[in-house]
Amino acid sequence: MGVQRPWQARATWRLAAVMALAVAALSLGAMALQYRLVEARLMAAQRSLLAADLDGFAALYAQRRIIALREAIALRADLGGGEMTLLLDRQGQVLAGTLPGWPEGLARQGEGFTIDPAQEIEMQGQRWLVVARALPGDFPLLLGRSLQPVDATLAALRQGMLALLVGVLIVAGATGWLAAAWVMRRIGRLNDLADQVAAGALSARLPGPRAMDEFGLLETHVHAMLDRIESLNRATHQLSDSIAHELRTPLNRMLQRLSSLQGQEAEVAALKGEMRQTIRMFDALLDISRAEADEGGGGLLPVNLSQTAVDVWDLYEALAEDKGLIPRANISQGLMVLGDRTLLAQLLANLLDNAIKYCAPGDQLALTVAEEAGQVILRLADTGPGMPQSLRDEAFDRFTRAERDRARGIKGHGLGLALVRAIATRHGARLTLPETARGLVVELAFPTLKG
Amino acid sequence: MHDTAPHDRILIIEDDAETAAAVASVVRSLDCTAVHRDSLADGLAEAAAGDYRVIVLDRMLPGGDGVEAMARIKASGSRALILVLSALGRAAQRVEGLEKGADDYLPKPFEPEELRARLRALLRRGTMQVLDNDLLAFGDLEIRMKARTVHVRLTHVPVSPKEFELIRYFAQNAGQLVTRAQLLENVWNLHFDPGTNVVDVHVGRLRRKLEEAGSNAIQTARGEGYVFAPLPGSGA
Repeated sequence: MGVQRPWQARATWRLAAVMALAVAALSLGAMALQYRLVEARLMAAQRSLLAADLDGFAALYAQRRIIALREAIALRADLGGGEMTLLLDRQGQVLAGTLPGWPEGLARQGEGFTIDPAQEIEMQGQRWLVVARALPGDFPLLLGRSLQPVDATLAALRQGMLALLVGVLIVAGATGWLAAAWVMRRIGRLNDLADQVAAGALSARLPGPRAMDEFGLLETHVHAMLDRIESLNRATHQLSDSIAHELRTPLNRMLQRLSSLQGQEAEVAALKGEMRQTIRMFDALLDISRAEADEGGGGLLPVNLSQTAVDVWDLYEALAEDKGLIPRANISQGLMVLGDRTLLAQLLANLLDNAIKYCAPGDQLALTVAEEAGQVILRLADTGPGMPQSLRDEAFDRFTRAERDRARGIKGHGLGLALVRAIATRHGARLTLPETARGLVVELAFPTLKG
Repeated sequence: MHDTAPHDRILIIEDDAETAAAVASVVRSLDCTAVHRDSLADGLAEAAAGDYRVIVLDRMLPGGDGVEAMARIKASGSRALILVLSALGRAAQRVEGLEKGADDYLPKPFEPEELRARLRALLRRGTMQVLDNDLLAFGDLEIRMKARTVHVRLTHVPVSPKEFELIRYFAQNAGQLVTRAQLLENVWNLHFDPGTNVVDVHVGRLRRKLEEAGSNAIQTARGEGYVFAPLPGSGA
């Protein structure tokens, strides 16, 4: 759980950033549109003012040609204020106007008093909208209006927009973060629940009422799913208990009657032996299915694997010696795993029983319990006949028995190794059969106990 | 040796009539009085009312699980020891029952001899406190608890730690049948049937050591287990 927090926080930030940028981009687009509109309107206004000026001059020119034009321009030049005027004679001498001479590089376009074509120029640190003409008889005329008011207005507009954009970014970011955090909290609740369930608390549920939204629906679905899993799990457990009850009760009656029989003692003992084997096989099947049902679940406690190994080894060592094997144990002290002592003892007993069954006098039998590469390793190696290659893949399946066992009359129900695998899986331990020159090696790698 | 008295009462809480009859027959063979109840509620009421030495308790009973009811039995003031006798006989279930307070746990199907041995051990446990003594003497055979040594006719018999645990358990149940399952549970703390008679090897070794020193204290009981029988006239 501790590992997931940074991920969750990153998702929150990412969502917040995306939301903030999206809102900012949208408002930026809207503001750009508005800006263009205002710019176009202001330009059109300046242009119509210039057109009106031109109309006035055109009327004067129509009456008294250059003379009238010169007087009018001189008069206007004295008034000043955001206007540019200039009239030259044929030799380029200034007749009237606000400028000392014709601006360098400015082309004269046409000879009429219409607004088109107009051009924009830079002069005296401002932009101007001007018309440059050569009037009939080669009298250059320049009329212009300053675009300074337009630019000043647009600059103010830009400043306002920038401030607005920053504000939008902050507000959208904060809103996005709040919304994302809210979403993440809802998801976090579900994640916590999943963690609890994974840790074995199958009955864990989300507390409190559920909202009437998609998250509420999701929680309802998850709860329904967990309810179903839990009831299936409970049914599995109840079924195995019921099977046990229904099978063992009649077996018990049979055994009671067998025990009251007089005479035929060998026959009775053989029957009792068969019953005992049946019960063992049946218990192994139930143990396997129970271990599989509990797989990955909780209910495991810290167990001293070393001590458990010592206990079981002590029991079987004498049996191995009596059979003429050479048993050797190398058990590191105090190795703990998260587990179930009874299951671990059963696992080891099954492995030892199996090895002793197959080995012949003179064979070595070595048990190792050690910490290797951050894992707790339990390894049982023997120098017996080993396991046929063809059997390796399915040796740990239920009811798998080698042909040669049947031939040699080695007894067994083919469940011992299946139970070993089920118990290993229940403990999250990796079960392998490392290659060896002679005999069989079974190795279990348990995850180490944290903390 | 006086473990049981005719007035010792044993309560059987068991819903299967045939099983209950078999248990009752074992109880009577121990000179005890058997009282039978076939539901959990009746059984609990009887356990609280009567003075019982041992309660033989089933698990899957009408009215609930006997193991879950053990706390209530103890809370009701009963001083009885509890032997759970159940079809829920997997190792995990036995351990669960013992952890929840059962004094012994025997799975069905059971051999009458096995039940008799366990009931006797429980009855004895209720009366004998002599194991606090450092020295246990059975005729020629002497066991020193603190020093963890065994002597036969004053000759030291070297025993391994596990063999000492074995002889100590035998001594606690001297004169009585001790089954392999009992040894496995009490000496090795293992609660499953290993299939092979691994226990025999250990008992055989201990027995040979004692025999070499001149003691025939451990005897095989036909099919069922062992009897630690001290020499005649040397009862504890």
